[in-house]
Amino acid sequence: MSLITTSGLSKHYGRVKALDSLDLTLEAGDPIALVGPNGAGKTTLLSLLCGFINPSAGRAEVLGHPVGSSELVGKLAALPQDANFDPRISIERQLHLLARLQGMSSSAATDEVQRVLDTVQLGDIGPRKPDQLSHGMRKRLSLAQALIGSPELIMLDEPTAGIDPPNVKIIRDLIRQESSGATFIISSHNLDELEKLCGSVVYLANGKLVEYGPIDPSADSGYLTLRPNEIDPQQFIPACQSLQGVSSVQQQAQGDFLIRYDRQYAVDQQLLQLLAANGWSYRYLINGRSLEDRLYGSEAG
Amino acid sequence: MLSICQFEWSRLFLTRRGWLSIAAFLLIWVLILVTIMAPAARVVTSELSGLASVALEAIGLQNLSRWASVEMALYWVISLYLLPLFSIAIAADQTASDKTRGTLRFLALRTTRSQIFFGRFLGQYTIQILLVAATIISVLLLVGYYSADKLADAMQSVPVVFVNLLLVLMPYVALMALLSVVARSARQATLYAIVAWTVISIAIAFIQSRYGPLPLLDWILPGSQIGNLLRLDGWDTLSLAPVPLLHTVILLAAGWFAMRRVDL
Repeated sequence: MSLITTSGLSKHYGRVKALDSLDLTLEAGDPIALVGPNGAGKTTLLSLLCGFINPSAGRAEVLGHPVGSSELVGKLAALPQDANFDPRISIERQLHLLARLQGMSSSAATDEVQRVLDTVQLGDIGPRKPDQLSHGMRKRLSLAQALIGSPELIMLDEPTAGIDPPNVKIIRDLIRQESSGATFIISSHNLDELEKLCGSVVYLANGKLVEYGPIDPSADSGYLTLRPNEIDPQQFIPACQSLQGVSSVQQQAQGDFLIRYDRQYAVDQQLLQLLAANGWSYRYLINGRSLEDRLYGSEAG
Repeated sequence: MLSICQFEWSRLFLTRRGWLSIAAFLLIWVLILVTIMAPAARVVTSELSGLASVALEAIGLQNLSRWASVEMALYWVISLYLLPLFSIAIAADQTASDKTRGTLRFLALRTTRSQIFFGRFLGQYTIQILLVAATIISVLLLVGYYSADKLADAMQSVPVVFVNLLLVLMPYVALMALLSVVARSARQATLYAIVAWTVISIAIAFIQSRYGPLPLLDWILPGSQIGNLLRLDGWDTLSLAPVPLLHTVILLAAGWFAMRRVDL
């Protein structure tokens, strides 16, 4: 049974095709990144899979069941983008209702509310109201509702958008911790974050599927990515290009050097020797390209 | 559905806005009791009672002068016209603001849209039952204060009044359930109700002036049976019960259809 299967799935708003005949099969396992530029159809896809909006055409199945099926209650969870709790009612009361709707008894729901709040490190905010929380805390609260019960699939739409680094770290650690029991699908523009968390990537553009595959940069052989500390590009690029097997060296916008080479040669060893010989320090060397370079770089594909 | 229904009570009884709504309702109701019903009851029971009977007869409501308790008769007339307005105001936000805020998405992951829609309707309707009960109790207190000997007579009419008011209010709550699905806020839902009422009334008047009386059109709007209800006595009033029930079924069916189609 696949995690998600879509067939000809489309969503149109007037003449705008937010999602255009998407055929996709995803399997359970490591977290899956859902990426693409603004308007690519990421939120539309997640909203369709969660049943928040109806498709214009096509069909989708989640965990072997049609979207909206009562079989999915308790199995599918989500952190929808821009969804907020009622600001007038206490957090514990609202989470309690959600747990009850998942079929828990009142006492089990009370325990579960405390468990998920503790999990997102907000154990003492139950009696408070949502509008008394910071933006980052509200995101963690939304994540807490997604952890109620034992969902098999958790979809997160921009879980770290607009929040500060400490809250980002808490959410990232939580996803790592919980991903042993559930498959996450994470939509985000933060590709560095996704690279750290996810095992595969679905890349959408203009409502269409562009790429689906593993995120492991080493699978993208023939490239090295070097993040320098203090290296003069004027000196480094010619020196690197003179190494045997190197076909091109480019400095990316964020300062990384992207080195393309012929896999017959041990360019990584030559490069390390070059760095040592010139006393050039670096932060890291990656075998392959960053996700950002793979998807949006000048040599993408 | 019961959990959704119970939570609807929380949204009214456990929030500051909810208590403000209840307080506003009670204040207006007390004002009506003190400034309209109590003085009017005294007029009807005084030497001017003959004049009052003539006045009621002139407007075709002579059967009201036969009520054992004047206060209950007045309550019957006032509540039939006033409680639907309260009902529209109180039930306006069944799903609108939760939809706009995205709160419904949390619910939709755990239950069907139908359960959310009907659960919210039931929650609001049970709140209306409580408010009707509260107003009736307030009138009984008024009767007990001014004419304790009429209390037993007044209580005899309570079942008929209570059941009829619940029937009258049902389509109004259903109407707001429908409008709340398509509106983005309670205020917008209320505006939609006012606009729809006005447009439909004008359209009916126009059609009837152009094509002559079409009796069916007189029954289109919720509450269209109220005028006839005032001319009936006792349990005979239930002969009009199919009208609000049919309105409710149609409005709930339309709301349910809209709820299944709306983007959350």
